[in-house]
Amino acid sequence: MLRLGLRLDRRLELLGALSYTARDLARRARKRHASLQKTQLMVLTPDFATRPVISFQHVWKRYETGTEALRDINLVVPDGDFMFLVGPSGAGKSTMVRLLIREEKPTKGKIFVDGVELGRMKRRQLPFYRRRIGLVFQDFKLLPNLTVYENVAFALRVHGEPDALIKTRVAEAVDTVGLAGKEQTYPANLSGGEQQRVAIARALVHAPKMIIADEPTGNLDPATAWEIMQLFLRINARGATVVMATHNREIVDLLRRRVVAIDAGQIARDDRSGRYHDDASKSQVRAR
Amino acid sequence: MMMLRNLKFALDSAWQSFWRNLAVSLAAVVSITLILILAGINLLVGHAFSQVLDGFRAKVSEMSINIADDTPLSTVYSFRDKLAGDPRVVSVKFVTKDEALAQFLADPNNAELTQQIVGNPLDAKLQVRVRNLSDVTAIDTMAQQWPGVDPTDPTNYQGDFVTRMLQLSQWLGIAGVALMSMLVIVSVVIVMNTIRTAVYHRRKEIEVMKLVGATEWFVRGPFVIEGVMTGLIAAAIALSLLVISYPPVVSRFSADITFIPLSYDPSFISSLARDLLLGGAMLGALGSYIGVRRYVRL
Repeated sequence: MLRLGLRLDRRLELLGALSYTARDLARRARKRHASLQKTQLMVLTPDFATRPVISFQHVWKRYETGTEALRDINLVVPDGDFMFLVGPSGAGKSTMVRLLIREEKPTKGKIFVDGVELGRMKRRQLPFYRRRIGLVFQDFKLLPNLTVYENVAFALRVHGEPDALIKTRVAEAVDTVGLAGKEQTYPANLSGGEQQRVAIARALVHAPKMIIADEPTGNLDPATAWEIMQLFLRINARGATVVMATHNREIVDLLRRRVVAIDAGQIARDDRSGRYHDDASKSQVRAR
Repeated sequence: MMMLRNLKFALDSAWQSFWRNLAVSLAAVVSITLILILAGINLLVGHAFSQVLDGFRAKVSEMSINIADDTPLSTVYSFRDKLAGDPRVVSVKFVTKDEALAQFLADPNNAELTQQIVGNPLDAKLQVRVRNLSDVTAIDTMAQQWPGVDPTDPTNYQGDFVTRMLQLSQWLGIAGVALMSMLVIVSVVIVMNTIRTAVYHRRKEIEVMKLVGATEWFVRGPFVIEGVMTGLIAAAIALSLLVISYPPVVSRFSADITFIPLSYDPSFISSLARDLLLGGAMLGALGSYIGVRRYVRL
């Protein structure tokens, strides 16, 4: 399909070339060269779209209290991946999330997100990094004195976007999470699942490349959790990378996505389509 | 455009926050008002005193050098020219014996003495006006060494009074500065605590702001504006109270203490207004900036 498309494109180009000026030709040639390189790259790499969005390189994290939260973490998350981060409480999942959103810096090692090394990022640049990711938390973190619309719009307002753009983007995001019609409701009048939908709408209203969710279904009943999960899958299907720390065994086992299990600060398991527990390891079962 | 939108956001949040914590905001406004009233009184008293001092200064910057009767006129002229060439001297005027007598007689205060005067007991003199009060003593020493000076009564000036006035004004200046700096510190601390309360009330909003990618100044902006608002409101209240009470207080006091030429000076109001409003705004900004800096970090 792709090759045919390219050929057709080239044929059209040759036909039209006579009428082009020399500069235009050069520009076109450069463009074609670039697109060729891209194709070659795709051919060379076995997986589709494996440019890593996140990579942890020998990351250690020791808190000031002396707790060693992470020990030599190596992890690569390709673009468009859907990854569960599982493990018992205190294993280091939250630390990984905190490192990813740059609330903490690694003690040793490097973390790259979308080509940027987080440890070397300046404080001034941090807000602009956060604008490229979407965050969802267990406790929703909605502002109670703002309506659904205002809560979702808040992210864009903080970025200084114009009202007209905010209006269309918020409408889209609210629609995506299935809350159209509830724009003027306050969070207190919504169910837990609906509140989390608002938080998700806020996380994706600025079209981030990556969504990081920390126990997003932790406060929800199983049915609602499943609905929220469907929402994350839809967002992922649209192209956003999703990294989710979770305790929800049922969902992880049902979805059979990539599972990275953290235990005592180390990666215990990294399965392409894994389960919450490694069946072979009984210690994991006990830990749960 | 984006700056304007951010400013609007900051103004809206500051306004909301001010009303949400009305009790704390009002307490801060009242405290800052009192402090600014004190500062305003300080400025007014200082201004009145400097006005009084200016009046005295015009009088005391003049001295006269009495000339011995048998001094040749050429000596007098050469000394006069020497003084006139001195950069510390504004003007020199030669007053002959006759002119001195005429001046003396013309003064109604001397009416009784005039009856007793026989001949002309007055010296001819050089009337010297100096640029700075502190130069009076230097000119005096110069005159004392001049051979043409009257050895029995060499010079006339209010030297002692001058130095004392200068000292007093210096001390008052120091006291004023000390008082002002204390007031500044107190008001900055008050604003700081008000803003901390506001930060505490909005900590959740701040947390969310940071997570969705607000810049530090975007988060701080509303608080700094709230501080400036508090300062400006306080300054406006303090100013109106001072302006209302300034003329009656002046007239009351100038009736009681007639020896000090205290006067109502309407031109000072505009400079007082500028100082107080600017001061209030800066105190508010400084206090809130310090208050918010430690708590709003990414």
